[in-house]
Amino acid sequence: MAARKKKTRKSKAQREFVSEAEETLEGMREGLADLMDQRAGLDADGEVDPDLINRIFRAAHSLKGLSGMFGLESLSNLAHHLEDVLDGLRLGRVGADSPAVELLDEAAELFAAQLEQVGEKDFAEASAAAIDELIGRIDAAVRQAPPEPDDLAGLDLDPALLRALTEYEEHRLRENLRRGRRLFLVDTSFEILSFEEGLAELSEAIRGAGELVSTLPSPGEAPESQIRFSLLVATPLGETELGEQLDFPGATLRAVNEPALAPAESAGAAAAPVEAVEDVSPLEAPAPIDAGGELDSLRSISDTVRVDIRKLDELMNLVGELSIHRTQVEHIANRLSQNLDTARVGDELSRIHKLFDRKLKELQAGVLDVRMVPLRQVFEKLSRVVRRLRRELDKEVALEFSGSDTELDKLIVEQLIDPLMHVVRNAFDHAIESGPERRAAGKPSEGSIFIRAIQRGNHVLIEVQDDGRGIDVERVRALGVERDLIDPQESLSDKEVLELVFQPGFSTREEVTETSGRGVGMDVVRTNLAALGGMVELATELGRGTTVTLTLPITLAIIQALIVGVGEERFAIPLNSVLETLNVDRDSIQRSEGREMLNLRGEALPLRRLADEFELPSTNVETKQFVVVLGLGDRRMGLIVDRLEGQQDTVIKPIQGPIQQVRGIAGATEQGEGGAILVIDVASIVDEAVRRRDAA
Amino acid sequence: MSGGEGFATGNEGDWEALARNAATGRDVSDEPAVLRELLIFLLGDSPYAMPVERVREIVRMRAMTPVPRVPAEIRGVITLRGEIVQVVDLRMRLGLATPEAGRRTRIIVLHGDDDRVTGVLVDAVREVVRVSEDDVRPATGGEGDAVAELFLSGENFVSIIELDRVLDFDGTD
Repeated sequence: MAARKKKTRKSKAQREFVSEAEETLEGMREGLADLMDQRAGLDADGEVDPDLINRIFRAAHSLKGLSGMFGLESLSNLAHHLEDVLDGLRLGRVGADSPAVELLDEAAELFAAQLEQVGEKDFAEASAAAIDELIGRIDAAVRQAPPEPDDLAGLDLDPALLRALTEYEEHRLRENLRRGRRLFLVDTSFEILSFEEGLAELSEAIRGAGELVSTLPSPGEAPESQIRFSLLVATPLGETELGEQLDFPGATLRAVNEPALAPAESAGAAAAPVEAVEDVSPLEAPAPIDAGGELDSLRSISDTVRVDIRKLDELMNLVGELSIHRTQVEHIANRLSQNLDTARVGDELSRIHKLFDRKLKELQAGVLDVRMVPLRQVFEKLSRVVRRLRRELDKEVALEFSGSDTELDKLIVEQLIDPLMHVVRNAFDHAIESGPERRAAGKPSEGSIFIRAIQRGNHVLIEVQDDGRGIDVERVRALGVERDLIDPQESLSDKEVLELVFQPGFSTREEVTETSGRGVGMDVVRTNLAALGGMVELATELGRGTTVTLTLPITLAIIQALIVGVGEERFAIPLNSVLETLNVDRDSIQRSEGREMLNLRGEALPLRRLADEFELPSTNVETKQFVVVLGLGDRRMGLIVDRLEGQQDTVIKPIQGPIQQVRGIAGATEQGEGGAILVIDVASIVDEAVRRRDAA
Repeated sequence: MSGGEGFATGNEGDWEALARNAATGRDVSDEPAVLRELLIFLLGDSPYAMPVERVREIVRMRAMTPVPRVPAEIRGVITLRGEIVQVVDLRMRLGLATPEAGRRTRIIVLHGDDDRVTGVLVDAVREVVRVSEDDVRPATGGEGDAVAELFLSGENFVSIIELDRVLDFDGTD
């Protein structure tokens, strides 16, 4: 957060606008990449996927609205012209092979470039000229509209229905007819109160079988409290097959065009009756016109359910609260057991508590399991981006994955996409050399990025490994000295020097070969991962490549935490990063150069005092000290606390308020008695310890 | 109720209902737009005001967990039906003396965009008043940035707190 703020002078509203616009633009560019791919594979008469065009159109439309709302007239105008091109594509007025389509990509680039400059002083004038120039070219390219053939009269459709179609829908109707697809009218009715869901389900099923050309409310008779719809469907399927796919109670199917181009199929359809064909008069059977029947169904569409993640959050919260109550019951049982008079009741309560605990753990695991999604979706998204980069940068890079079945909490997966994308883009943009450069270095001209996910206990490791030029550690060291970030006298290991790459604003394209040119670097990746309780590490070999490793917890929802006390305060430390706890003599702690260390089985364990870290008064005057050994990746450190207060199930929640991020605090958790316990951000504490050791 | 009425008339419970009604937008629609609704509260003995539409709820003082590494004006976090919310001590933020929390101490919970729901600690909450735009005038110094406007309440001027500025810690940390 802080890093991003430093770099720009954007107001809060501007930041919000830019972030929303960038997200929309990103979606649009992905759509455009797909469009270019489809276009490349088309013959002259070819047609691109209308859903894709619609998706891009929606993005352009959002951009127009956003820019307009923000008073950026020229950008809004540009988006408007993009809409024109896309609208032309949708309606067939602009062919897929038109040069206007290439300009779409260019416009998206320009948009992205302009977004980066929002908030700069002379932004408005500087941008207007470039935008106007592009708009001029777009206009010129669009101004060639092929004539539209016309004949929808032969369809067995109510003229009123035909009139209700939009220009786009008419175009789709023609397009489908031209391709010899069959048209059907599906009539159905839904309860008024819940029609949206029913309609969405039916539409989904239709899209699985063909194209949903139009959905129109229909005036036909409907039982009270129901609403009727007519859905116009175009499909390569015959009536029977379509009927099977649209297995909805109360839905009827009627063919509306002569199957001019596929007579055999239509005969088949007519001859193979749908199940309820007895109700249909034999006269109607040979011609598909008016043929139809009640499609009764008891079968469910699929045995999966889509659930809003918020509902799962609520369940998770409930389970978390139950865990808190469970802990209280445990305390009471223990207290009762310790008193002779009540020991028997206490033991009995303990036994029940254990049963309760076991079932609760099962419930917890069950709810957690529902939240888990495989990384495959993320990987697919990455390969789309790389496909686009390949085209944009004209670089040969193979992308390989392994471990796409590895599962992570849905919430983490969502948050993971951006940092991971950034790392991959870095590898592509800057780490991997150009073809000639690679050949000169004796490498295959095609570069490779290998992404591997592995589960390790409660963590998932995601490695992004490239075979590019690697990072020149000596160069980083020199830059660090030049910028006063490290002391030239100090002997730092390569690993410690590489830490500099994570310093806010440290790296730029020219100086270190390894960052994206978009102004956000590895520091943001690190911050994003820390917010998830994860971390990022770098390993590199000059000339051979770089491996970036992201370590993430499997879930954020409920974690086991160790409760520790310092002075009057209590803190929770996620147990998955606690390796062990020690109770050591004060005397066994060694001091050197102002740093405390402990000899732990022959290894030097750096120590920090939580009281010092958080400037709290420590009440510990005992000769014994509690040390919590924290481990993250291959880094270890010991945290000295006053007390260990046991384990607890905790639901980590974000802290709301004017200070968005407190270094060292990951969030807070509710306590039984209504207060809050702060949860320590182990990644940042370990990080600070390492950094301060370097700085000392 | 008008801005001219005294501050001591509000009876506990009434103003809470008022604040809630005002915050949810009821009873407002028919009023001419030139009226502003302000929540009056006390810091020490002096009345201050904030726009009522920023108020989500008002709660009593409760267990507060201090947070390390933040400015002292952030007194800590409270839990509020499962949410964890920072509480800003408004007196400290305005550079006023800070007496102990008393029986009438309240936390005014403000709406926030994103996850910026914030609690502000005040010494007492009095009432909601409707103030004509004509009675509002620009402030001249005194509390600095925190107050840009005043309104006349009877004989006295009441400062209207600029919540966005008071709660912007980005520039100060």
